[in-house]
Amino acid sequence: MHIDKLERFWMLAIAVVIGSLSAVLLVTAFLFEVRLPTPYEQFDPAEIEETEFAEPGVRHMGGNKYHVHVLAQTWFFTPDEIRIPRGAEVTFFVTSKDVTHGFFIEEHNVNLMLLPGHVARITTHFQKPGTYKILCHEYCGSGHHTMVADLIVEAPSDSDSDEEK
Amino acid sequence: MQRAKTIDRPVLARLTFPPLSMLKEERWLIGSHILVALLALFPGILMGPFQAFSRSPGFVAMFPEWEIPVFSFYYQALTVHGVMNALFFTVLFIVGHAYFVMQRSLQRPLWKPGLAWLAFVVMIAGLLATAYAIMIEGRSSVLYTFYTPLTAQPWFYLGLTLLIVGTWMAATNLFMTYAGWKRDNPGKRCPLAVFGVMSNFLMWCFATTSVALLMFSMLIPASFGWIEKTDPQLARILFWFFGHPLVYFWLFPAYISWYTMLPAQAGGRLFSQLLGRVAFLMLAIFSLPVGVHHLLADPGISQVAKFVHTVLTFVVIVPSLLTAFNIGAALERAGRQHGATRRLDWLWKQDWKNPVVTAQIGGLFMFIFGGFSGMIHASFTLNIALHNTSWVPAHFHMTLASAVMLTYIGMLYWFVPLLRGRVLWSRTAALAQVATWVGGMILFGHGMGAAGVGGVIRRTDLANAPYFGDETALAFQKASVWLNTTAIGGGLLLISVILLYTNLVGTLFFSRKPLTENQVPISTEGDTRLPLWLENWWMWLGVMIILAAMAWGPLLVDEEILFNAPITGPTGLPMR
Repeated sequence: MHIDKLERFWMLAIAVVIGSLSAVLLVTAFLFEVRLPTPYEQFDPAEIEETEFAEPGVRHMGGNKYHVHVLAQTWFFTPDEIRIPRGAEVTFFVTSKDVTHGFFIEEHNVNLMLLPGHVARITTHFQKPGTYKILCHEYCGSGHHTMVADLIVEAPSDSDSDEEK
Repeated sequence: MQRAKTIDRPVLARLTFPPLSMLKEERWLIGSHILVALLALFPGILMGPFQAFSRSPGFVAMFPEWEIPVFSFYYQALTVHGVMNALFFTVLFIVGHAYFVMQRSLQRPLWKPGLAWLAFVVMIAGLLATAYAIMIEGRSSVLYTFYTPLTAQPWFYLGLTLLIVGTWMAATNLFMTYAGWKRDNPGKRCPLAVFGVMSNFLMWCFATTSVALLMFSMLIPASFGWIEKTDPQLARILFWFFGHPLVYFWLFPAYISWYTMLPAQAGGRLFSQLLGRVAFLMLAIFSLPVGVHHLLADPGISQVAKFVHTVLTFVVIVPSLLTAFNIGAALERAGRQHGATRRLDWLWKQDWKNPVVTAQIGGLFMFIFGGFSGMIHASFTLNIALHNTSWVPAHFHMTLASAVMLTYIGMLYWFVPLLRGRVLWSRTAALAQVATWVGGMILFGHGMGAAGVGGVIRRTDLANAPYFGDETALAFQKASVWLNTTAIGGGLLLISVILLYTNLVGTLFFSRKPLTENQVPISTEGDTRLPLWLENWWMWLGVMIILAAMAWGPLLVDEEILFNAPITGPTGLPMR
């Protein structure tokens, strides 16, 4: 089995490139704390009223921490407007009541698939005040494109005037 | 006993193929596959540019009354585009191509020509059933990924199941043809093209078991109303177990063409036979343990599995990089034959006047963008920024719709003339077609990719989305310039499609000049220096099964199989 010298060199180069890409991936995943959704909680969608998703919304967990429960269904999110103070540590808990949906916050690293019976969870921070669209990014039927909500990141000064939950 | 049987077999089994026409044995069978594939492609491919137009704010502002013709419901057009292009066209073309390669390279007829026709009829029945469900019945706009609990009409799933069953029958025929050749030629190595077909169909048969399981356990019973609930996460796992091998099923005929025909067509010679086989095997085997990179944002799959599949995805880049070297070296030789003398001038001193070569080199060129864009969004850390944005269709329009499709087009430019025994109707039109395709796809791919980075989501009827004309939706407004360049790309591609079909119809009906130049180099020999165990297909199947079990088994442990999501129709209403 003869392999040309040039080609051997090329194969070595491939191995080095692939090896270093994998290493970079591992290092950056730890360094920047990139976390992907991982199994967290499963329940029967018929019993959704008995879970925290019966009353979706923002919960202040004390200090700088917030929990946000969002329920997706054809074709809207509940709540459809979420207000978060700038810099807070926000954990989203999101699920779907019916079909496959998506949960994507533009200009931020929040990108989840939503499946009925599974809770998708992700923790993040919002540094820049403004209004961002939350989009359903998985096809969920004929009204899919209308499934939009707003995320409002408030600067500390104007969040004082709002009542906090 | 065995001996007595083999004595007269070679006499029966050998065929001599004319280089400039097709035997009766191949013309009707292969011609039918290729032509029906092109018919299935036609409605699907037309929907592509129309969707690009409808997603462009500039286009919509210019033509506010315009609608996608025939299928004005965006998601119906999108379902037609995905299902016809990516499933029916590709599969019919690949099966026809496999028959051609097998018969010509082994110089023997198929094991059972009757079975090949039966498989064809089964696939056509599948095509009609699915096309009826999507285009006429109309309540099957579930896109080509058909994620449950969104449920289509039964004809949709029955048609796709028939398509898969047809491929299994075709695979049986191919395997038995190979086995017959092997029996008659003990100790011989099969030609590289046959090695590619065998790798491809072995991978396909193993991978399709999961989608068959999905069809029979959930989708068909759900659409008939025999079961009322399905398990969406398990369904996605079963779909993507099959989904990534599907991608390579498309790619294989292109690889076979690049490795076994392009070097001779371009005037060069393949650099390494051995590494060609290694690339084919790696592609087939490592297509299986990587599918979770399509599911990196799913809630029911552990981060560990996601990481493992990402790293294995990098392994599957190896055969493509080997190919880049091998085919690159073959093209360098070809370039030197065409007068290249400096270090890199072989890159442009190619036979650009030959559309067969030009289309394939165009495909190879686009595969560079396809490969790198795929590495980016298959990465554990980067996917979160790109998952389900228009970056994803940008990627597979560089791979499937460019690398694969341009190579198929290059093949069609010799296939159809060979079928008809006449030269290609217009070389100029063919070259213009390739140029508009490459240019259109670059604009389209870049536009979709850049829009995806800006946060524009994929497969969404943007024109009717509330933020489409909304000046306060800043992120979308910023990205929408790229949706306009995408539409310009779509316009070029529409021209390209018209040129392609006109030329092929012209070749079939109006071309008068008989074929004089052999554009179809077929190798009937395998390199005798190669080890025979490379062709131990049972062993490779075993390796596939073990790797797949190791990569996918842990996912099922994570899964509390629920089967409790009520099914829903695409209109958003419960099915019944």
